Amino acid sequence: MTSENLLAAIGEHCPGALLSSATPRPGRLFVTVNRSSMPAVAEYLFNTVRARLILSVGTDKSPIDGNYEVSYVFSLDQDQLIVAVKELVDPADPRVPSVTNIIPGANWHEREVRDLLGIVPEGHPDPRRLVVSDDWPEDAFPLRKEFPYNFKPPRVTEVKPPMREAKEGEKQATVLSVGPFYPTLEEPAYFRLYVEGEQIVGSDYRGFFSHRGIEKLTETVLDYNQVPFIAERICGICGFVHSATYCMAVEQAAEIEIPPRAKYIRSLMLELERVHSHLLWLGLAAHYLGFDTVLMQAWRIREPVMWLTEQITGNRKTYGMNLVGGVRRDIDDATAEKILQTVEKIEKETKELIGAAVEDNSLKMRLQKVGVLSYEDARKICVVGPTARASGVAIDARKDHPYLAYPDLDFQIAVHDQGDIWDRTLVRAEETFTSIALIRQIVAKMPPGELMAEVGTIPPWREGIAVAEAPRGECGHYVLTGPDNRPYRWRVRASTYPQLQSVPYMLDKMQIADFPIIVGSIDPCFSCTERVLAVDTKTRNVRTYTKKELLAMSQRKAGQGRRA
Amino acid sequence: MTSILVGIFNVLLVLAAAPLLDGILRQVRARIHSRQGPPVLQTYYDLAKLMVKEDQRGANNFIFNAAPVACLGAVLMAALFVPMGGVVPLGFAGDALALVYILALAPICLCLGGMASGSPYSYVGVSREVMMLMVVEPVLAITLIATSIKAHSLLLANCINRYVASPPDISLIICAIAFFLALQPEVAKVPFDLAEAEQEIMEGPLVEYSGRKLALMKWSMYSKQIVLFALLVGGFLPWPKTSFLPLGVLFTLIKVLIVAVLVEVIAQVFPRLKINQAIRYFAIVIAVALTGLILAVMGL
Repeated sequence: MTSENLLAAIGEHCPGALLSSATPRPGRLFVTVNRSSMPAVAEYLFNTVRARLILSVGTDKSPIDGNYEVSYVFSLDQDQLIVAVKELVDPADPRVPSVTNIIPGANWHEREVRDLLGIVPEGHPDPRRLVVSDDWPEDAFPLRKEFPYNFKPPRVTEVKPPMREAKEGEKQATVLSVGPFYPTLEEPAYFRLYVEGEQIVGSDYRGFFSHRGIEKLTETVLDYNQVPFIAERICGICGFVHSATYCMAVEQAAEIEIPPRAKYIRSLMLELERVHSHLLWLGLAAHYLGFDTVLMQAWRIREPVMWLTEQITGNRKTYGMNLVGGVRRDIDDATAEKILQTVEKIEKETKELIGAAVEDNSLKMRLQKVGVLSYEDARKICVVGPTARASGVAIDARKDHPYLAYPDLDFQIAVHDQGDIWDRTLVRAEETFTSIALIRQIVAKMPPGELMAEVGTIPPWREGIAVAEAPRGECGHYVLTGPDNRPYRWRVRASTYPQLQSVPYMLDKMQIADFPIIVGSIDPCFSCTERVLAVDTKTRNVRTYTKKELLAMSQRKAGQGRRA
Repeated sequence: MTSILVGIFNVLLVLAAAPLLDGILRQVRARIHSRQGPPVLQTYYDLAKLMVKEDQRGANNFIFNAAPVACLGAVLMAALFVPMGGVVPLGFAGDALALVYILALAPICLCLGGMASGSPYSYVGVSREVMMLMVVEPVLAITLIATSIKAHSLLLANCINRYVASPPDISLIICAIAFFLALQPEVAKVPFDLAEAEQEIMEGPLVEYSGRKLALMKWSMYSKQIVLFALLVGGFLPWPKTSFLPLGVLFTLIKVLIVAVLVEVIAQVFPRLKINQAIRYFAIVIAVALTGLILAVMGL
């Protein structure tokens, strides 16, 4: 379906809904609809066209045109088309009709818009707080433009996480609190499990403990070329995909065509990131099952990728390679040779490891028919990446919305249809080999040339929506350019965002023993904090380490490691 | 008099060698993982560290506080019944039966301590431990009874002497295999360490223990490993028999080490099973042990 056809179809099915539309470039359609007809349009797109919700954005445009704007961004995966459906909201009456009852995957998006902009989704089935912390004031909405970025809320002593009441069938059950600090998951997340004996009969989730306000910071303090560096720090494992997607969104908005060599280098780094991330996951998943031999072997195999990226970029992680318009570092012939040798070794060792693992019957006992996510549920919650592909939802941003070097590359995506953890494992295993094959193709086809495009002044009020396939699934970035050499609005939807919403479906009727591996099977990536707070137990003083001190400490530690 | 000395020797040997055995197993584990691994004395350092660490007082009631001591005590008492190189220090008629009960005491102390801590993780761990106990202890009991039947005596020393004197019987070989299979859950190793399951319930019954009490709990678990391994090699693999005590002790320790390494290797090539899967598995092991018992009754 082309964008013209879709526009006509929306007009036909939802008469009177369309207010305006724009097609700034092929593959992107921006539609503004009547606020009251939003549910009808969403219903048509989701159920009839079978589009998938990528993300939603709330923008405070009141300084420009006096309105708030809420957009729901859909993807028509078969047609390489991304549609943003917008509605305008009067700041005096900040209410929108909720679409969560139609698209369950919109649940968190609408709650996030409510928390950060104060736009109430009317008729939302679960209107609890999501993003802001429990002690945050009721009437402070951080993403409104008049809200200062350095606002500090008054201190509150008593806080309670907004957990839901026990449902029917959970009232007799024992409550097992998992988190907020649970050793197995490493990152802060709070699951409340209702258990009867070993069986889980209900679950609830509270997260966003380390929400850092990166989006607000971008809109107020940073400039276009500083953002890639903070974007990379959104995630400690798949950071490069965030900075690359941000750059792609800005480049799309500003109509910058980056040099082919830069495209290839970005793709190469993305695939290297996928290889090490999938091996990391394989190790962690085995660890959740108490199978530490696989953990250690998988991480041993993964380590050369980290050395390789250190050689290419100077860092094991957080490469700092991307700028709007291109990349900062080149790959010379010697490095290209090294890359080929490394992936050769990794491929051989991974084959041995995965070959042994898939033959293991006891692993199958633990993984088959566990944490099942049906095709329908996967579509309803709009999950992405290996989680979706293991449930038979054949989506992959590299194929559906080809970006960077992917249109030139030849590869198949791995799809399985049982929806259990075993299939998620198989999908990731197959993808590791696909990535290695892609790395070979990229190195072979790498075109010569410049690394950076000429970037002039970026014109304001242009929109860009970029999606890229992170190891954990598609991640989506929306950028609205602004006048002060910085984005007016930047929205990030990381791949774990939809996956986490599917966890309650996977946990249902499973055992406590399955909990770590089920949560682990979506490859969760909560977020990482960038500064450290230390509490002196004797004096009860809170001390914040400055960047300088942390740097000195880490250098000291690194020096010790090298000597040992 | 000699038996008292041997008894004291047994207890001290178990206490002193248990952390070393764990240290060696950590090295074995590290080699399988392609790691360098900690020094073999690391477990001593860990215990020493825990001994001087602050006790966080996860719970404060008599049972919680007494359980670690009782747990270690139960294991050391079991050590008095186990032959370490030929001599059974505390032999009396019926000690084979008493041993079965004493061996079950340590996990029961662990469960009591866990229940007294009040943590939901402990409750899950305790319920798993009790379920495992009910399928694993029968294996030990059945195999020990089978040896007694063969020897026409409930005295362990007689059992062993009878065993050494005659060529191995098919029934006892089957029992030895069943006993070996029961070791994995008894010493809390993957795939049957469900009660501790670090990644699921954070060491279950131990979750609230810290400092000295945790050290005692850990020490009793290491000691239990050595006692059970010694029971297997003493009861089912008594060769080569020697009357020279130091040599007998040496042989026992070497055999214990071999069994321990086998158990550790098994632990490193399996994922942890779930409780229903583990129980189904042990239903089969009980059937194997019963086969051994029936063959023993038939005189095979």
